Amino acid sequence: MTESVTVRMTRTLSRRQRESLAAAAFLAPDLLGLVVFVFLPIGSAIVISFFDWNLISPMKFVGLANYERLIGDAEWWASLGRTLQFALIYVPLLFALSLGLAVAFTKLVGRAGSVLRSAYLLPFAVTSVIASTLWMFLYTEKTGYLNAFLNLFGIPDQPFIGSPTQAMVSVVVVVLWINLGYTSLLFFSAIKEIPASITEAARLDGATGWQSFWRITLPLVRPTAIFVIVTSTIAAFQILDIILVMTSGGPADATQVGALYIYQRSFERLEMGYGSALSVVMFLILLVISLVQLRLSRSNLGGQS
Amino acid sequence: MNRVRARIIGVVLALGAIAMLLPIVILFLSSFKTKAAVFVISLAPETFTLGSLAEAFTPDLLRALLNSLIVSTVVTVVAMFIHALAGYALARFDFPLKRHAFVVILGSLMIPLTTILVPLYIVVRQLGLTNNMAGLILPLLFNAYGIFLFRQFYLDFPKELEEAAELDGCGRFGTFVRVVLPLSRPVIVPLTVAFFLGTWNNYLWPLVVNQDKAFETVQVYLANLISGYNRDC
Repeated sequence: MTESVTVRMTRTLSRRQRESLAAAAFLAPDLLGLVVFVFLPIGSAIVISFFDWNLISPMKFVGLANYERLIGDAEWWASLGRTLQFALIYVPLLFALSLGLAVAFTKLVGRAGSVLRSAYLLPFAVTSVIASTLWMFLYTEKTGYLNAFLNLFGIPDQPFIGSPTQAMVSVVVVVLWINLGYTSLLFFSAIKEIPASITEAARLDGATGWQSFWRITLPLVRPTAIFVIVTSTIAAFQILDIILVMTSGGPADATQVGALYIYQRSFERLEMGYGSALSVVMFLILLVISLVQLRLSRSNLGGQS
Repeated sequence: MNRVRARIIGVVLALGAIAMLLPIVILFLSSFKTKAAVFVISLAPETFTLGSLAEAFTPDLLRALLNSLIVSTVVTVVAMFIHALAGYALARFDFPLKRHAFVVILGSLMIPLTTILVPLYIVVRQLGLTNNMAGLILPLLFNAYGIFLFRQFYLDFPKELEEAAELDGCGRFGTFVRVVLPLSRPVIVPLTVAFFLGTWNNYLWPLVVNQDKAFETVQVYLANLISGYNRDC
């Protein structure tokens, strides 16, 4: 009975209409979830940013006061600068190291390759709370393993996360250590997808390894490269948990990034209105970065084809 | 010549791998040390003890591990399925507002969890989902990262197989579940790793959304343990 109804229905619908219905059904769970748990919160953040609210007492409308305060908040702008500093160290390092690693992986044959790839991937399985604790332990000033290692080469003890000048780089190292293996695996699979006939043809035409990297490998892993740059930049702006555990923003605010400042204002001082205003600004900055990156990648792609 | 170069690359990669693994080895070996010996620089414990490990395995830790296992497994399985569906629709189907749907999904990629931490908590509280499993699981499912990778994968997926299945009388959903999904291993395997670890690893969301000890995940448990330990020092 129901079957015949479906058959009749599908017959009266055009192929295009059926395809649209299928698409709607396939996309429904994800779109619904994204609306409720991503876009609704963004909308709420905008609304709450016009209020003064500590989660407990009733919300008080304050107009643009939170935004006026934000513009003059030197601590906020300094924190945002540190987020940028983190991204500028982290993203290029991750990109270059993981791509180089992936190319090196392709030169290995047999079992050695897969064993080494797994070795590099292992830190990705270490959770950020444990990684933070572990590296705090390795970074320890007088009795830490890293300083003991440096001492072997005659390098004196370094303060690492204990020093305002070294803390940020020390945190970047931990994040790199976690993500390097996984990112290089993304590049590795992309390189493996390149048909052997293309690389072979280039080799027969006398292309050196370096030439075929720039002319063949790099252009053909482009989608992966763009994906890595976009996601790692966004991840750099989100960096919070590792800093929360390792330094709590110290020493002397050297690792107090924008996300941490928002977290502290919202959940430690319960300034929900101000925290929301800061979140909205952070969101807009990220939106601009993403759009610029997407535009760049698209125009480059157009120039090539 | 080529063989020599491959060998050099192999040696350099192996040294790098040792450097990557050493922190984990140190962590592992230190767990067999006594409290007093932990800060002594040596790979092998002077006095081998299981005491520190035994002390760590409390009922609280086991419950936290179980909670994390449940949350991570449910998130991973459900996310794989719904993201594969969405990615497939975006790659294969032609429908009105397709570009808009894709932009909305990509747009969510530009919204970091930390940006919406505060309002997400408020929304989840309004839905009555704080301090329970649903509140821990639901917001972690919807991640455009997965949809994006599935879409990329299906763009390069050979159409012939699906056409054959449809000629054999499979509907679109049937074709997807019986033909496309089983052949999606190359994208499902890395994404399963990423989603499971990502959820297992997540510290911020459980920290914010759940105050009930019964649902405490292992990350929050460990972080509390560590900060408690630091206080004792």
